[in-house]
Amino acid sequence: MASPKVIDIACESCGATLTLDEHLRTAECAFCASPMVVERPASAERPDPTFALGFVIGREQATTAVQNWIRGRGPFVRSDFKKATLEKTRGVYLPTYLYGAVAETVYEAEIGEDYTETETYTDSEGNRQTRTVRKTEYRSLRGRQSRYIHDAVVTASRGIPNHELAEVEPFDLRALRRYEAAILSGWLAEEPSLDSEACLRTARGEAIARVGDDLAGFMPGDSHHSLRYSTHLVDEVIDLVLLPVWVFSMRYAKEKPPARVLMNGQTGEIYGTAPLSIRKITTTVVLAAGFVATLLWLLNAF
Amino acid sequence: MATPVTTCERCESQLEIGDLRCAICSQAAPAVADSRTVTEIEVHRCDGCGAALRYDVEVQAPSCGYCGSVMRLETLQDPMEQTQAFLPFTTDARQAQGALREWLATLGRFRPSDLKATARIDTLRPLWWVAWVFDATALISWTADSDAGSYRSDWAPHAGQAEMEFDGIAVSASRGLSEAETDALEHDYDFSTARPEPAGASGAAVEQFDVQRSLARGRVMSAIDQLAAERVGQRHVPGHRFRNVHVTALLRGLITRRLALPAYVLVYRYRGKRYRAVISGQRARVVFGTAPYSVAKIAATAAAGIGALLTIAWLLAA
Repeated sequence: MASPKVIDIACESCGATLTLDEHLRTAECAFCASPMVVERPASAERPDPTFALGFVIGREQATTAVQNWIRGRGPFVRSDFKKATLEKTRGVYLPTYLYGAVAETVYEAEIGEDYTETETYTDSEGNRQTRTVRKTEYRSLRGRQSRYIHDAVVTASRGIPNHELAEVEPFDLRALRRYEAAILSGWLAEEPSLDSEACLRTARGEAIARVGDDLAGFMPGDSHHSLRYSTHLVDEVIDLVLLPVWVFSMRYAKEKPPARVLMNGQTGEIYGTAPLSIRKITTTVVLAAGFVATLLWLLNAF
Repeated sequence: MATPVTTCERCESQLEIGDLRCAICSQAAPAVADSRTVTEIEVHRCDGCGAALRYDVEVQAPSCGYCGSVMRLETLQDPMEQTQAFLPFTTDARQAQGALREWLATLGRFRPSDLKATARIDTLRPLWWVAWVFDATALISWTADSDAGSYRSDWAPHAGQAEMEFDGIAVSASRGLSEAETDALEHDYDFSTARPEPAGASGAAVEQFDVQRSLARGRVMSAIDQLAAERVGQRHVPGHRFRNVHVTALLRGLITRRLALPAYVLVYRYRGKRYRAVISGQRARVVFGTAPYSVAKIAATAAAGIGALLTIAWLLAA
């Protein structure tokens, strides 16, 4: 892997030279602690952000919540994980794309319409009886649907993959601010590191999945099956938006890579995977097996 | 007063001051273009004391750690709705009273005969009630079940798309008038007479919009869905009966005005009981209200009906 490109910049406050990773949008002078925001020329791969969502949850509140979350993990989670201290706590403005489009969909489904029929049958005592039964007849339905897709959010950072971001969504987009560099001041902010075409593909995938979810509720009839659809996305809008995320990393065992916990910097939603202890699980299984075996032996013996 | 400032370049709906994005299609509202050609390093400084600003969680904006001043960011604004224009009263109180008397006489045979003569008007208040009036075009995609083409079941599925125009559709924001009352009044106003100041009646109460813009938009959108579903049922679903109407609207060019509409609210008394009616402030013949029934007349008619039935039954039996 190529080493990250760095640039040399001069601190505007004290004149010291510092180096800065190319994928970062902010820096702090090592000598005078001045918070700086790096404004690069916009390009297709690195457009200017349109909006940013400010942090609502501060460092202390975030740290406390994540510590409580770690302690509250289940009984099979490794003990050293539960006791680990947070090593690194970073409030990051994560670059994401906010995608919208007009979805033109052609769909086809088998629509079930219920009806009742009276039928006669012979009961167990040999008497003829009548009963009404509910039956369903299916009809094919083809149609078109046109609608807006709003606010599909996809990550533009290699650091936090889309499925992890999805775990701490949703963000309340009513609190969006028009992007101004000063909102990043004193915080970490990344530049987009995923290529914009790949992000667009992910966003389109989300949009199409959303069409499918909503189509199920759009079908008439009493029931339906075999819903198929194909969607054409037109008139797209895509905006780079910086979202607030707290990232915690912690080392709980020497031989293991550090674990990571994410928190939505606006709503406080937490996501992480707690490592399970093989030893704890094995012990429990062995104990349970022993208990069952003893029980069986006792039952057989008496 | 929030007035339309510009139009969304994507769907041609109106954007208002404080909108960061189009409420219909999510297109970002235009900002001042910023074309940089070189990488710049910026330290954002406090206008007051020159210290570096940092984004502060407490105030949700960049603020100065030394002097505490806070930088203003452009945010989505959600102000309370304000009336933009008034339709003038073009009928006066006397015409309204006359209209009530005429209306009382036209209610039909089950009302007391002396209703028009003995009803006494208690109060008559002119009032401007408030409503959103919108224009839009929409591509409506719909599905429904109807009896057309049905076989063993009573229903068969149908789907389609239709272009719809919405032209001067009123959605009540009134708290004082009931939904039935505003429904009766809203079709007979001349929206082109709107003017910025109230006119035509002195001392009339003016209702206020008491919801925020975002909530107002939600109300207008659900009114569009409801109206579209009604029109689909009336005009587009084949057959005579239908159910399960689903609609999805692709809206374009939504323009909403916040209007105050003139009406008279009358309370009249008949034999000690009070009844209420509303009358349009622009066309006196538009009256909606409650009125007493004559128990004696209804009982007499019912008795006559039963008598006739018995006679027929007797004749048949004989």
